[in-house]
Amino acid sequence: MGHIARNAALCYGCKTCQLVCSFHQTGSFWPERSSIQVSRNPQTGVIRWSIDKTCDQCGREEQPLCVRYCSYNALMNVTDENQEEHERE
Amino acid sequence: MRIKRNTNVSREGKIRGALAGKILRIDLSTGKIWTEASEPYAARTLGGRGTNSLILMNEIAIGTKWSDAENLLCFGVGSLVGTAVPGACRTDISTINVFSGGKGSANVGGSWGAELKYAGFDHIVIRGKADRPIYLYITDGRAEIRDAAWLWGKTTYETENLLRRELGDERIEIAAIGPAGENRVRGSAILIDTAKAAGGSGVGCVMGDKELKAIVVRGHGKIDVFDPRGFMEAVAKTYRQCEANRVKVQSMRQSGAARFENLDFEGWETCMVIRNGQDDYWDREKRAQLMNPEAGVPSMRRKVRACFSCPTGCMPFMEKAQGKYREMKGEGFWINALWSVARFDISDPETAVAFWLLANELGLDTDYVAAGLAWVFECYEKGLINQKDTDGLELTWGNGEALIQLMRKLAHREGIGNLLADGMVEAAKKIGQGSGYYLIHLKGQPSIEPFRIPKGWGLGVSTSPVAGRHLRGAIRGPVHSGPGGTDYDITHYSNQAKAVVWQAKTKELEDNLGICNYVGTWSGAHFLTPGNYAELVRTAMGLPVTEEDLMDHYAVIGRNLEKAFNTLHTNLAREDDLPPQRFRREEIKTGSYKGFKANEDQYNAMLDEFYELWGWDKKSGMQTRESLEKVGLKDVADKLAGKGLIEKCDKR
Repeated sequence: MGHIARNAALCYGCKTCQLVCSFHQTGSFWPERSSIQVSRNPQTGVIRWSIDKTCDQCGREEQPLCVRYCSYNALMNVTDENQEEHERE
Repeated sequence: MRIKRNTNVSREGKIRGALAGKILRIDLSTGKIWTEASEPYAARTLGGRGTNSLILMNEIAIGTKWSDAENLLCFGVGSLVGTAVPGACRTDISTINVFSGGKGSANVGGSWGAELKYAGFDHIVIRGKADRPIYLYITDGRAEIRDAAWLWGKTTYETENLLRRELGDERIEIAAIGPAGENRVRGSAILIDTAKAAGGSGVGCVMGDKELKAIVVRGHGKIDVFDPRGFMEAVAKTYRQCEANRVKVQSMRQSGAARFENLDFEGWETCMVIRNGQDDYWDREKRAQLMNPEAGVPSMRRKVRACFSCPTGCMPFMEKAQGKYREMKGEGFWINALWSVARFDISDPETAVAFWLLANELGLDTDYVAAGLAWVFECYEKGLINQKDTDGLELTWGNGEALIQLMRKLAHREGIGNLLADGMVEAAKKIGQGSGYYLIHLKGQPSIEPFRIPKGWGLGVSTSPVAGRHLRGAIRGPVHSGPGGTDYDITHYSNQAKAVVWQAKTKELEDNLGICNYVGTWSGAHFLTPGNYAELVRTAMGLPVTEEDLMDHYAVIGRNLEKAFNTLHTNLAREDDLPPQRFRREEIKTGSYKGFKANEDQYNAMLDEFYELWGWDKKSGMQTRESLEKVGLKDVADKLAGKGLIEKCDKR
């Protein structure tokens, strides 16, 4: 069992991760029912991102949907195999 | 697909997904709030701007002015917004155009549209006027009209901060006007998140006229698609297409303006308009000063941000620690900003960034400011106005501080700002002395666009039904924007009309579905194509459409609704679809395109072809019954015929 980690420097705040996560969780596009929550302050450019314990790394999907659809390569499914790579980043 | 639609709205071709389902109706004069189903409208138009246009066509009586209580301010979120379609974040805002009196429309991204759909609404249609400043709070199927006296007079930044503090929910999304809109400055914008502007047509002016300061939305609901599995396959395909264009994506991520860091970029040669159109060539030293990577605009770009569900990410966040205007920071600096300052011969990068951010704070449309005020600078240069008229401001080319001060005056209607706030066409009448010739506008709206070199661009801008602007078919060759195929010279007149019509049609679809054209078919992105749109509509909305249905039916409906609205509500004619007079008369003075102008005969030849491609009367440009009935717009044809504005159109 791994976990999803975000590289804040790469994140553009598009909320796609939150959206596709909600689809995995509910079969609908329902940001409120997502394991990931994102908000953004346009005046400072600061992005707030969090993930809660309901994340299951998308179970049987080839890879977690949030990682698959992050166009900015800001998300990573951290597992035992790639732990070192993650720490380097 | 069999399409037979003759009623005002349609029950046929039922939509079975992607919509929130309701239109929120609010009458600010009476305080009445009610809803109706959005699906019958979207079944006929595909939704978004198409539905806004249909509502205006159905409900605005002839003779209604933008400032009448009967004018409607329509917010229409694209039909695919709220789903995982890449770039599906856009909202159309339609109303009577404050410049032309015809169709007004502005389009904007951000997260506001998606949030409105999660709150249960595809559209908000506002009529009437409040008797005091108010804002709307919309959440989960309900709306409240709330007092906004405490927000009146505030900038968009201040408004956003105050509302967030008051409501205590960081997930609210806000559309607001600044002082400019409150003061009914014609070129006022509606700002989403303080940074994304619905700028054109004076939509912010109409919002201010209704005493509506802001619309706050917060939704906890969901959007379902018709065929989730098929839909996600279609989405995955679009993402693969985006990923295949990695080089282009990287370029757009630095914002389109970043390409101008290369002083040899061809856009410098072909798309600039300098000193209010006195020339179309800008010195290399000025280019270098403005876009210098170490000390110019790029040095103030701290990061880049993306709109909701967007894989492109094009919004630079500008900030600097010292120098002039150091208190200003925020999202924005597009090519429009670069074009805008060049119009004043301003190459100071600090002024350029301040110009953009100040417009956002004040709620001004940058194109209106740039084209309108550059004309004022030229009036000053030519001695048509003097320092007494300008409240002491020295409006000489390159004077950035004067521009910044003039913008503040404009937004607050102070001194000369009051003269300019009612629109530059009106101001030109007051200044007189032939000043109107130098005013660059289309259908009354000031324009920053180039016409003398890129002919497809010029044709697209000139023929836009919402009074200029470059998002209704403007192209720079068929490959950069347009349908692709063999590229050809952007400076030639031949071959342009067909690609312009193609681009105008795809934009209709994008604005109905809510897909940003920086992901779709424009500006060289081409990550998504009309073929993708058909797959996405089939799987998300359950409409069994082909690409041809979209391009030959729905896109045609959208354009014709706006065209017919203009015909019914204005006296716009063929002459109004040509470039501004100055560019038809005066040649470019310097640079490699010296001697170029917008040749009137050649532009007319493009216009003939353009009208024919739309199925309109070649001579007058007016719609024909045949072309309207072909796409189920018999009711619109009847309306036009009732006023003698069809078939007999060339005898107007």
